[in-house]
Amino acid sequence: MIRFFVVFLVLLALLFGLELTPWVQRWAVEPWTMALARISAWLVTLFDSGVTATGKVIASTANGFAVSIEAGCNGVEATIVLVAAMLAFPAPWKHKLVGLAAGFVAVQALNVVRVISLFYLGQWNRDAFEWAHLYVWQALIMLDVLIVWLLWVRTLPPGRGDTGTGPPPTGAPAAA
Amino acid sequence: MKRLAGLSPLARFVLAVLAWLPVTFVVWYFAAPIILWPATLLSELVTRVGFGDLVRAVDQHAAVVAFTTSLKPGQAIAGAVVTVEVNALLYSFGLPMFAALTLAAREPHWPRALAIGYVALLPAIAWGVVADFLKNVGITAPPQVVSQTGFTAVQREFIAFAFQFGSLILPAVAPAIAWVLTHRSFLERVRRAA
Repeated sequence: MIRFFVVFLVLLALLFGLELTPWVQRWAVEPWTMALARISAWLVTLFDSGVTATGKVIASTANGFAVSIEAGCNGVEATIVLVAAMLAFPAPWKHKLVGLAAGFVAVQALNVVRVISLFYLGQWNRDAFEWAHLYVWQALIMLDVLIVWLLWVRTLPPGRGDTGTGPPPTGAPAAA
Repeated sequence: MKRLAGLSPLARFVLAVLAWLPVTFVVWYFAAPIILWPATLLSELVTRVGFGDLVRAVDQHAAVVAFTTSLKPGQAIAGAVVTVEVNALLYSFGLPMFAALTLAAREPHWPRALAIGYVALLPAIAWGVVADFLKNVGITAPPQVVSQTGFTAVQREFIAFAFQFGSLILPAVAPAIAWVLTHRSFLERVRRAA
C-alpha cells in the first residue's frame, strides 16, 4: 500500500508537471478543451438550439451568457489522477489499459454533465453557479474518479490489487 | 429499503456518500470559521518561518485568510502596505468530501477516522492558502510590488507550480488519499464482495 501511494504521488506530480508545459497545453489540453466545448454545445442543442461554441467558450444566443472552460474544469486533472492511480496499482497491463479507456470515458462523461449544468446554473443564479463550480462539482468529479478506481480494482484477478489488509497475493509480482 | 438491500455494497456506499454530501457541505460552510482556524495557524507558521520578511500579520475573517505584508503598494500611497486575502474555502472542500466518504462507509471507529482525516487535510489546505498568497504577491501583483519580494525567476516558477498543484490537484486528491488510507479494511471487503 505504501509503495502504491509513493508511485501514485510521483506519477501524479510528473503527469501534472507535464500537463503544465507549453507544448502539452498547446497540442493536447487546449484542443481537448475546445473539443469538450463543442461536444457540450452539441449535446445542449439537442434540446436548446440557442447555444454556440467558439473555442473553449459556450454561449447562449438568447441572453448572451457564456462560460469559458478553464483549467480544472476540462477534466484533464481528474483524468491525470485516475491514470496515476491505475498505473501505480499492481495489476496486469491489459487490465490497466482497459481501465484507463473506460475510466477516461466515465470521467469525461460526468465532466460534460458538469459543464452543461454550470452553463444553465449560471443563467439561473450566480451564487448557485459559484457554489457548484468552486466546491460541489470539484468534489463530485473526484468522487467519480474514486468510484471508477474502486470498480476497476474489483475487476482485477484474484491475488492482484491487494489493498494491504487481506492475505498476501499469490501471483507473481505485478508490474506497476 | 428492499431495493437498497439488493444493491452491491459499493452501490449502497455510493448512494450513502451522495446522501451525506449535502449535509457535510452545509456543516463545512457554516462551521468554516472554526474548522479552518488550525489551517490558518499553520499558514501563518509557514509564512512567518519561510517568508518572515514579507509577512507582518495573518488574520482570519470567516473563511478568508488575510495576509498583511511589508510590501508597499506604490510611491503614491505613503505608509500603506499590501494586504492579500485568500478564500480558504477554495482549498478545503475536501473536508466535506472526506466526511461524506467516512460517514457513508459506516466503519466502527468513524469518529477517529474523521479526526485523523481532518488533521491530515490541514497541511493540504495550508498549502493552497500559502501558495495562493505567494502567487498574489510574487506573480500577479503589479510589477512594483513583485519586485519588492525579491523572488527569482526559478522561485516564481516553483510558486506557480505549487499554486496550480495546490488548487487543481491537492484539494480533491488529498481527501481521497486520506480516506483510502483510513478505510483499508472497508476497501478490502468491497473488493472481495465483487
